Amino acid sequence: MKKLVVIGLDCAEPSLVFEQFADLMPNISRLRAQGIWGPLRSTDPPITVPAWTAMMTSKDPGQLGFYGFRNRSDHGYKDLFFANNEYVKEKRVWAYLSRARLSTFALSVPQTYPPKPLRGAIAGCFLTPNKDVVWTYPPELAGQLDALADGDYIIDVKDFRTDNKDWLLEQIYKMTERRFKVFREFVRRGEHDFYMMVEMGIDRIHHAFWRFHDKKHRLFEPGNKYEFAIRDYYKYVDDRVGELLQVIDGETAVMVVSDHGAQTMHGAICVNEWLRQKGYLKLKQIPDQPSKMKMDNIDWSGTKAWGEGGYYSRIFFNVKGREPEGIIEPSEYATFRDQIQKDFEAIPDEKGVNIGTVVLRPEKIYREVKGVAPDLIVYFGDLNWRSAGTIGGGQIHIFENDTGPDDANHARHGIFVLSLPGGAKPTARPAYSIYDIAPTILRYFDLEVPADMIGKSII
Amino acid sequence: MENKVTIKIPRPLYEKIQVLVADSGFSSPTEFIVYILRDLVGEQMGGKTTAKEAGELTGDEIAAIKQRLRNLGYL
Repeated sequence: MKKLVVIGLDCAEPSLVFEQFADLMPNISRLRAQGIWGPLRSTDPPITVPAWTAMMTSKDPGQLGFYGFRNRSDHGYKDLFFANNEYVKEKRVWAYLSRARLSTFALSVPQTYPPKPLRGAIAGCFLTPNKDVVWTYPPELAGQLDALADGDYIIDVKDFRTDNKDWLLEQIYKMTERRFKVFREFVRRGEHDFYMMVEMGIDRIHHAFWRFHDKKHRLFEPGNKYEFAIRDYYKYVDDRVGELLQVIDGETAVMVVSDHGAQTMHGAICVNEWLRQKGYLKLKQIPDQPSKMKMDNIDWSGTKAWGEGGYYSRIFFNVKGREPEGIIEPSEYATFRDQIQKDFEAIPDEKGVNIGTVVLRPEKIYREVKGVAPDLIVYFGDLNWRSAGTIGGGQIHIFENDTGPDDANHARHGIFVLSLPGGAKPTARPAYSIYDIAPTILRYFDLEVPADMIGKSII
Repeated sequence: MENKVTIKIPRPLYEKIQVLVADSGFSSPTEFIVYILRDLVGEQMGGKTTAKEAGELTGDEIAAIKQRLRNLGYL
C-alpha cells in the first residue's frame, strides 16, 4: 500500500533550506534531488493561522472565515474569538481520506485542537491550553505520546520571551527531538496511510535568534555567541529527517513543507499611535508611556479606525450602522478607505524614508469573505516591520517588540519538497502554491480532487 | 419530548448489519448501531458528557493562550 509522509516545518525559510544551509542539510537536499522542490507561496497573511488550514483544505482565509489567531465574532468592539479547530468548517485532507477508508496520523498540525474524530489518530497543536484537557483523538493517544517522548511530549516551548537564551535553545531542541522520535515510531509501525507532523521549533528559533544570525540585521554582531544557533538547528532538524527516512520504505512518498518563511524585521510601527496622531483614532485618556490599547479607553465618537498588532496589521473601520457607535457614513466608506490606504502607503521609517507598506483589501484577494474580515490588511514595510498595538508615548517606530525582543518577521514563501516512490519525478513548476498541497495529497492517493478546492494537484 | 429519534441509513448497509448481528447477542441492527455509536462518542469525549464540555475553554485557559500568543508575537 502506498503511503505519504508530510514533514511540516513551521516557518522554514526557502533561502536557508535551498541555498545558505543546503550543504549542511544532506537529507532534505537528497529528497530535492530525487523529486521536485521550490518556494511555496503562502496565504495572505502568511501566518501559522490560517496558513496550515488553508494548506490542508485548499481554501483561502476568506473562505475559511478567519484572518489570524484572533477574529471579531461580530461588529461590536469586544468579542474576539480564537480560531481553534471549533471554527474550522471546511474539510481537511484527512476528512476525504477517512471517507475513502484511508487512515491518518496527524501530529500537532496547527488548528487541530480541540481534536475531532477521524479514521486514524490526531494530536492537538500549540493552541492546546494544557495537557489536562482532551487534546488527542482517541484520548488514550495522549499517554502513548508521552511514553514515547521520554515521559513528556512537548507541544510547544513555554516562556518564549525569556532572556535566558541558553535555556530556550535547550527547550526547542528537546521539543524537536521528542516530536520526531514520536513521529518516527508511528511511521515505523506503519499502521496508517497518511502521516503528517508539524514542528514549531524553526519558527520559535527564528523569532528568538534572528538578530544573532542575520548579517543584515542592524543588531548583528560578528562572532556573537549565538551566531550559528539557527544554522546548527537547521542541521539538527535535517539529521532528524534523516533518521525518519531510515524507517520509510520505498513505497512511501515524502513531502517537506512550511507554511511561510522568515525575514529580517527592522522594527515595529505602533499602528494605533499612528492612527491617533493622524486623527483617525481618539482616546478618552492618552497614556504617557506606550501602553496596551484598551478598547474601553477609545472615544468612539471621534474614532474612524483602529488596528490590531501582530506580524501584520488588521485595520477596522468604525462605520455608522455597522459598528455600535460608528461614525463613518456608509456613503463615505470607499473614499475614506482610499484616503487611509494612501496614508498607510506613505509611512516613512524613523529617518523619513518610505518603508514601502503594502495594503490589501479582503474582497480583492479572497474568493469569498466570510465572518468579520478586517477592512484593510496592512504589511508595514512589506513585512519588514511588524505592527505593535500599543498606544501613547508619542513614538511611531519602536525597535524592541512591545512583547520583548523579536527580530524576524514572516515572509510570503515557505518551502515545498516532494519525493515520490520509485524514482517517479513529476514535472517541476516555476511556482507552487500552498493551495496546491491538499489536491496533491488527494491525487497521490488516487482520490478525486473536489471541484471547490482552489489549488491544483502538482502530480 | 420523545427521547428517541429515527435515523435513516442506506438499506444495503442495514442488510449487511442484519447479517452481521444474526446470532451475535445483539437482538437487532438498531441495538448494535447504538452500541457502536455510544462506544465511539464516549471515546471521542474522553468521559466528558458533551462535545461542548470537551472543547470548551475556561477563562483561565483563554487568558493563558492569549498570553502565549502575545509572547510568540502573533498578537
